[in-house]
Amino acid sequence: MRKTDTTGEYAISNLEARVASRTDELPMDSDAFAGFYQRSAPALRAYLVRVSGNAALADDLLQESYLRFLSASRPEGGEVNYRRYLYRIATNLLRDYWRKPRAACIEDVPERLLMARDGLSGIESRATLNPALAQMRPRERQLLWLAHAEGYSHREISEITGLNAAGIRLLLFRARRKIARLLREQTEAVRGNA
Amino acid sequence: MTFRTCSYEVELTQALKDGHWPQGCGTELRAHVDGCGSCRDLVLVTQAFQGARRESEQLTPASSPSLLWWRAQARRRNAATERVSRPITIAQTFALFVYVLVAVVFAASQYNHGLHWASWWSELAPRAVHFLPDISGKVDLNSFLLISGLGVVALLSGLVVYLASENS
Repeated sequence: MRKTDTTGEYAISNLEARVASRTDELPMDSDAFAGFYQRSAPALRAYLVRVSGNAALADDLLQESYLRFLSASRPEGGEVNYRRYLYRIATNLLRDYWRKPRAACIEDVPERLLMARDGLSGIESRATLNPALAQMRPRERQLLWLAHAEGYSHREISEITGLNAAGIRLLLFRARRKIARLLREQTEAVRGNA
Repeated sequence: MTFRTCSYEVELTQALKDGHWPQGCGTELRAHVDGCGSCRDLVLVTQAFQGARRESEQLTPASSPSLLWWRAQARRRNAATERVSRPITIAQTFALFVYVLVAVVFAASQYNHGLHWASWWSELAPRAVHFLPDISGKVDLNSFLLISGLGVVALLSGLVVYLASENS
């Protein structure tokens, strides 16, 4: 399913290959970066918080994502591709974090953390989406967020996560059915409490 | 669990993405969604996630972009310094290798000559105490080689230690 070689490393995607040849220039000037950061950071942080279930970790990974983004050269195609590249960096950082021995693997991160410390506000989200997300696996949360919050296609998610596009379709289908059922249950529970 | 895709999924996904659902969609699509479980799931989930994303856009991350910018520049500068100093490190390693090789060859050559200098050394010490200028006229070739070899090794040792400490 995962596009990896025997060492477990991701194959270099087209996106990375495009930037690998040009690594000696900063992608943009300071002001342009500040604007790009203001536009992209909240959504990227939300992705990291929702997937990792840990706001402090998400903040660390957010900073590291931008540092790596600035240290590399920008991909072609403007801000749309910058954002996708950022998500790829953030996803790889999450994966590296989960691979470390002190943390569990991506399938076993304690989901209760998501409910306790997501750092995000919003009555509706807290009432239904967060408890539902808390019962999903991190990989499912990752795919659902990229597909439904960010609106990425299967091919784009494949580039970001390194997973096979055909596998993503099946995983997303299952994850969507699961979270839809949980959302309905949560909605009913909230109405019941009210 | 069966994996069944709906023929309206692409159209509905696009409508949700563009914000056209439900007012901007035709009656046929709306009627289909009412009767299709998969499409109802798609609408429910997408709207929930889009709502969560809208909420998250109102929050500003704590870190400052200018601080990140300067940190990235510092990191790039360090990486560039490391790249530039890599050939120097290689040259230092090569110098160390040559030095060790010279020392080994020198020691081996002296050993093969029967260590004549060892006997000369035992005679030299008492003479040196009495009258040092006499020594210059009496040393043989082996002694001369020994002294110059030791001097070179001592010099190179200092150089290698200096370069190693500078590198670390």
